Amino acid sequence: MIELNGIYKWVNSGNNRIFLLKDINLKVQEGEFISIMGPSGSGKSTLLNVIGMLDEFNEGEYNFLHESVHKLKEKQRAALYKLYIGFVFQAYHLIDELTVYENIETPLIYQDIKASERKAMVADILDRFNIVGKKDLFPTQLSGGQQQLVGIARALIAKPKLLLADEPTGNLNSKQGEEIMNLFSELNKEGVAIIQVTHSEKNAAYGSRIINLLDGRIEH
Amino acid sequence: MIKNYFKIAWRNILKHKFHSALNMLGLSIGIAFTLLIAAYVWGELQVNKSVKNIDNQYIIQSNWKDPDMGLVITTIGPLAKALREDYPNLVANYYRWDGVTTNVANGDKIFREGLQIGDSSFLRMYGFQLMYGDAKNAMTEPFSVVITEDRAVKYFGKKDVLGQSLTLESFSGSKHDFKITGVMKNPAYNSINRITFDNDNQLYVPVSSAAYFSRTLDEWNNPNIVGFVELQNGVKPKDLEAPMQQIIALRSNTDISANMRPYLVPLKDYYLQQNNGLVKKMLYTVSCIALFILLMAIINFINIAVGKSSTRIKEIGLRKVMGSGRKQIIFQFLTESVLLVFFSMTAALLIYVLAAPFLSAVLGKTIPSLAAFPVYYGLIPVALVFIIGLLAGMYPAFILSALNAVDSVKGKLQSVNANIYLRKTLVGFQFFMASVVLIGAMILGKQVSLFFSKDLGYNKDYVVSVQLPRDWTRSGVQKMETIRDEFARMPEVSSASLTWSVPDGTGSGTMSLYPAGKDSSQSILFESVIADKKYLETFQIPLTAGRTFERPADSLNIVINESAVKTLGLHNASEAIGQRLFASADMPLNVIGVFSDFHFGSLKDKIRPMVFTNVNLNNAYRLMCFKLKAGNIGSAMEKIQAKWSALLPGTSFDYKFMDESLQNLYRTEIQLKKASQVATALALFIVVLGIIGLISLSIQKRTKEIGIRKLLGASGSSIASLFMKDFLPVVLISGIISIPVSWFIMQKWLNDYNYRVPITAGPFAVSIIGLGLLAVLLIIIQIFKATLQNPVKNLRTE
Repeated sequence: MIELNGIYKWVNSGNNRIFLLKDINLKVQEGEFISIMGPSGSGKSTLLNVIGMLDEFNEGEYNFLHESVHKLKEKQRAALYKLYIGFVFQAYHLIDELTVYENIETPLIYQDIKASERKAMVADILDRFNIVGKKDLFPTQLSGGQQQLVGIARALIAKPKLLLADEPTGNLNSKQGEEIMNLFSELNKEGVAIIQVTHSEKNAAYGSRIINLLDGRIEH
Repeated sequence: MIKNYFKIAWRNILKHKFHSALNMLGLSIGIAFTLLIAAYVWGELQVNKSVKNIDNQYIIQSNWKDPDMGLVITTIGPLAKALREDYPNLVANYYRWDGVTTNVANGDKIFREGLQIGDSSFLRMYGFQLMYGDAKNAMTEPFSVVITEDRAVKYFGKKDVLGQSLTLESFSGSKHDFKITGVMKNPAYNSINRITFDNDNQLYVPVSSAAYFSRTLDEWNNPNIVGFVELQNGVKPKDLEAPMQQIIALRSNTDISANMRPYLVPLKDYYLQQNNGLVKKMLYTVSCIALFILLMAIINFINIAVGKSSTRIKEIGLRKVMGSGRKQIIFQFLTESVLLVFFSMTAALLIYVLAAPFLSAVLGKTIPSLAAFPVYYGLIPVALVFIIGLLAGMYPAFILSALNAVDSVKGKLQSVNANIYLRKTLVGFQFFMASVVLIGAMILGKQVSLFFSKDLGYNKDYVVSVQLPRDWTRSGVQKMETIRDEFARMPEVSSASLTWSVPDGTGSGTMSLYPAGKDSSQSILFESVIADKKYLETFQIPLTAGRTFERPADSLNIVINESAVKTLGLHNASEAIGQRLFASADMPLNVIGVFSDFHFGSLKDKIRPMVFTNVNLNNAYRLMCFKLKAGNIGSAMEKIQAKWSALLPGTSFDYKFMDESLQNLYRTEIQLKKASQVATALALFIVVLGIIGLISLSIQKRTKEIGIRKLLGASGSSIASLFMKDFLPVVLISGIISIPVSWFIMQKWLNDYNYRVPITAGPFAVSIIGLGLLAVLLIIIQIFKATLQNPVKNLRTE
């Protein structure tokens, strides 16, 4: 599904070139559940962003579902991730001005899905995540765990093939974190590929494979 | 999708109540002012538009070799009629009128009215509608009169007054009843009823009664008749040039035919073009002011929107991550700004209704009410909502939608830093405009107060003029002189004068006089005023040589001004005494006195040679002028009025203080001054909104910094100076740029005046220092508010 070949990413600071990613080679199969680990500043989030096509890279090849991402224009890339990738953030990143319902609905709006269909899809996922009663609340009225649930629901609403999660439990207590991880395993069993960045060995263990990063390199 | 845009837009407006309110307040005021001015301009453009067959309607004007020789707006009496009779294939119809002012009475209701003695074509040629009466024969019978519904109500208290009569006074003092044969619907403002703003004639008398007023419209040497023609379809005004010249050469005397060239002006442009396009200039000026005010309001909007953008960065990033395209984000922001503008427009329409009477008073013209516009004009505000919404929302929308999605989601971007210069430029631009308007208003005010100053060469204080009933005979003048002396004996009156006019620019005409030893080809044009022996005393005009009229034998004597002495080539005033000036070979006039120059007309014009002729020369007069003694003016006027009723029973007592007469003379300037004051107030208001919005945003962003600095022991003033450093240079630079610009504009305006105030440093200094202080004050107030809070609390909000 994903194939990264010799990916480099750097920034120039004065005369120095600082490498964020160095020679990353990675293959991800459909339905895999991968955890990326490593110390702060090792490039975990950058790698996740590159995979999610939110960040560009300077060198190398990236194939996603047989598309050569490095050859695509920004618009085409956006169309691609819009269709296949869902994002979950450590800080939830819900839109404060929108209700739970509207937050979850937003990606569908951007995919030009009809209103009646949107309604059914959002209702389904609210039901599944057991948050029907919260649908008219605004994010600030929810606890952190509930907000992250909404965040995941939003990421999943468009039925992505890949879920990218950047420390999804980082702002949650252990019980809430455990619930989220259980949910991830469940989703993975249903066929959604997941790549998560995490600091926690325990959370990493939910995955089928662990990738360790150090200074922008994959440690073998 | 659209619904979604509206929803989030609405929630954002609510979330940022303070800034939304600032935004909408500024914008709604800007829009309201623009709408009001647009309505005023529209109203002015409608003048004459409702006249029937307007494309073929023309007025005959006169181009005199020397502009002092005759009026531009009138022509030879029979010209229009002769054109119709001699060239029926060119001219379809004509209308001529002679304007007179006289006392009109219904019982004890007596007023002075302007009336038109005119051709019977009047009612049908222009499509004026009669409410009562028959347009075909309403203007034929002698001693009949057509009046407007306004006048019907004024004299009778009702509109259906057909068959009743009004008493009109002739110039020899006799009175006659005129039967009302028609009541006309109040016409929309047009140049036929109202050739100039002051000349508002609402009574129309047929030519068959002209003789009663000792007037005739059929005198080939009378160039003071207003003439209109309606051309046949397809005829160009140029086609009539040769015929008009021919007719005049054939029938008028050489004085006229050699010096005057008649030409046609389309009635549809006439109103805007008259007085060298005075109205047009005014329209352009106020339109520019309105557009700039609107521009300032839009800039405010942009400024606040860009400043507020930091709070939206995360949202935009998220939307992008969730698959939103740039276009959709742009749309969302545009929806928001259109919605804001929509609310502002609603408020603006409300303000329109409330402020229309006020601005009407300022501009001296009724601003049409919203109901006066054609229904489809309702689309204009709707269109404006979109146009202004797009204009104002475009820039923020494009900047914000271009942000990098990941950076904003990761919180790397705290603000749109690159725009700080742009925002400062925008604020600077606002300051610049406010400063230009402020400086302009101050200089304008100075020039206008010069009009009413003590340096006019005469003393206008406590001078009142009253219209007299006419009896232009030898005995009539003698009677008036006796009455004058009666008034002069009153303890409240220091002196009284019988004259033709006060120094308001309209004298009794011009006179060409030539000195002894020369002939009429070398004559000099004098502005002439019919005066009596008390004129100089009443207006306190100093006599520099000789004496004024004193003796009964003075009727062929004249008094001239110093400019006339100079023009005659004499060295000093006393040399002029005893000179003989000839109006014609058999009419010598002796100079018996010289008075010092004073401003008889507008300060626009140079002081011209002037001559005072004696009331006894032509036995003509219009006004009685009183110089009151300082003291209780109200009671003095009451006593004079009582005396007036006793001495001149049955005549109206319409008085005017000299200041009012001058206000008429400088109406446009005064309007401009008031308009500029309103504009200054609005500009300052919007600038204040702009600074408040900008500073409060920058304080919001720097709350943490303020907190840390306070914890480290910074004082309130040192924190305030942080913000001052940001804003004061902007104020200073824009103020400096405004100096040459406003100097240039005002110098150009002042150049129209032969007598003008110098442009001093004062207004510039006041403007820049004033705006600087305003900015400082606003900064201090807001910093004070911000620093009142516990700094630790500020830090916790991060």
